Amino acid sequence: MFLTMKVAFRNISRQKKRSFLLAGAIAFGMLVITLMNALTGGVVGTIRDNFSHALGGHVFITGQEWTDAGQMIMKIRPDENLDRLLEENAAQIEAFTRRSQAMPTMIFGSKQTMQMLYGVDFTEEDKLLDSLVVTQGRLADVLVEENAVILPQPVGERLGVQVGETILIRLETLTGQQNVGELKVVAFIEDQEELGLSAAFTSRSYLNTLLGMDQHEYQILNMFVTDLSLVDSFARIFREGLRTPDEGEEEAEPQVAVMVAGVPLDPLAEAEEITPWEGTRYRVMHINQIMEAVELVVGVLNRVGLVIFLILLVVTMVGITNTFRMMMIERTKEIGTMRAFGMHQKQVKNIFLWEATFLGLLGCVGGLVLAGVISLIVGNITFDADPSLQFFLNQGQVVFDVSMASVIGNTAIVVLISLLAAYWPARAAARMSPMKALSSHT
Amino acid sequence: MKNMMSVVVALVLCVLVTGLPAQAQDFSHIEAILERLDAQSRFDNTDFSSVLTMVVEDVEKGIEKMVVRQFRRDDGERFLLLIQEPVTEKGQGYLLEGDNLWFYDPSSRQFAHTSLKENFQDSDARNADFGSNSYSSSYEVEGYLEGTLGNFEVYIIDLKAVDDTVPFPFVKLWVTKDSDLVLRTEEYSLTYRLMRTGLFPKYTKVGDVVMPVQMVFIDELVPGNKTQISVSEISVSDIPDHVFTKAYIERVNR
Repeated sequence: MFLTMKVAFRNISRQKKRSFLLAGAIAFGMLVITLMNALTGGVVGTIRDNFSHALGGHVFITGQEWTDAGQMIMKIRPDENLDRLLEENAAQIEAFTRRSQAMPTMIFGSKQTMQMLYGVDFTEEDKLLDSLVVTQGRLADVLVEENAVILPQPVGERLGVQVGETILIRLETLTGQQNVGELKVVAFIEDQEELGLSAAFTSRSYLNTLLGMDQHEYQILNMFVTDLSLVDSFARIFREGLRTPDEGEEEAEPQVAVMVAGVPLDPLAEAEEITPWEGTRYRVMHINQIMEAVELVVGVLNRVGLVIFLILLVVTMVGITNTFRMMMIERTKEIGTMRAFGMHQKQVKNIFLWEATFLGLLGCVGGLVLAGVISLIVGNITFDADPSLQFFLNQGQVVFDVSMASVIGNTAIVVLISLLAAYWPARAAARMSPMKALSSHT
Repeated sequence: MKNMMSVVVALVLCVLVTGLPAQAQDFSHIEAILERLDAQSRFDNTDFSSVLTMVVEDVEKGIEKMVVRQFRRDDGERFLLLIQEPVTEKGQGYLLEGDNLWFYDPSSRQFAHTSLKENFQDSDARNADFGSNSYSSSYEVEGYLEGTLGNFEVYIIDLKAVDDTVPFPFVKLWVTKDSDLVLRTEEYSLTYRLMRTGLFPKYTKVGDVVMPVQMVFIDELVPGNKTQISVSEISVSDIPDHVFTKAYIERVNR
């Protein structure tokens, strides 16, 4: 086997130009598929991170209860059971936050706009404060003013408000009563409002007052987990731990409506009539459910990339077959000599097949090296792109993330196709009669 | 002598302290006014229809005129509001069936659940403004003053919601003493900030019902935003049952 490999390698080295062109064609295909996989893989990771920062966690718990007047409201009261679960799973929780939220109309003078507003405890939201990109003002002031608000820059521009000025917010309490509050603008931040993730932040205690909630109540518990791969099982622990006996057996994971620019990607079916219950019922969702829609799109992109890759390989395969047929004709006398000196048919075939394997592997290595260089260069460029594109970027940079499995898979496909392309010329060469080969004029 | 004075002062204070709440709690005649206001706003024995012409003034969007046909049947808490103008919103409708208020959009041919607490379109009127009053059941009297509004002698009544089912937790009413007409309303948020002022300068009597035919709603948070509503083509003729159905809204749009 070593001999056949050695001969095959020597043959490739003999025809450097031809080998370079063949391996180059394979390398180009490998480059395209690797870049495509790395880009989509990186984008998924970046979007997941950005979603996590924007939503404030990887696992989200909401609570619903019925009022005496028969209204369903969303809030979580202090709950020993929930506290116990948080304590028991503390090792898997990197950080958690308790937030309230509203969609008030913000008013400044005669201008008004609707804006998502989160009520956060700024003392426990280091991650949030670190992730916000301040364009004007100071984030530190949120700890000074009880009714301080951090506004997305476009919202500030729309209202015509400056840092230090006070805006009005008109909102409804949880039970639908009208309420008005005053917020002092302390900072403007960049945001990704085109993707429906534009958010302003104020203190939870102040927002709770306006929503008609107690200071210790909140609406969403967000958790960052230490290991994202365990997020499904982690969410299940909380789902099961928080289920009340009257909720019955475990249902399928709750559906999540992912909104892009305010439009649901996959609108939920109309809700069925609900029978009121006692106490709080919890819903536990996790980032992977939100990412399902994104991963679906990425999966389609990857499949499109694979099809392009296969088309490129088929074209290359035709080239390899032709080249190997030519090589067989060129080496007819050489084959005859080798056969005359006692080389078996199988060994002749193997020489050709090893050549194809080496070409495939060389192409793969070339493609991977090129993809690595391009990723390195592009990945170090900081793009000052539109805010909507920033959502796909990490600190303004494109992230490339290719999995070892996809590299091995793509290499295997390349080698297999190269072998397939070389098989018939190799078989024809092996079946050649030594007598005829030696008497050949080629 | 000094001691005597102290005793007298203490006695007077006692009388004031114990007497004032007793006096403040006696709102029976005001509550009776609220009941009359509610009763005279309800079409219990007849149906009611009219055309509402609304002029919505928005400082950002400008002035828009809307024409809405209104059908009301208070027995059963039903109403139907069909938008006839502007052309871009023609065919949109609001149907109240008991506790459920539906909004129909002919462009999507879909009904969406909405609430009486919501604003009507982009106006300063609320969907609840097109039905009967329920002051006596939804609010309790917090206090009142006597005063004048223009040439009218009025009670200025402070109301507080009895629960959280009404949109405005606090309301102030200016009600004429002699004829029980609400001339002005002020609606306040939970933080007691004035949100909306309603003016009702003109009334008409339709059977047993006294109803305003001119209304002005002023947004007190956005200076310059207000909505004027004029009521015309008033009729108390019977309205067929099928008018208060979803099928009817869909059909009139074809």
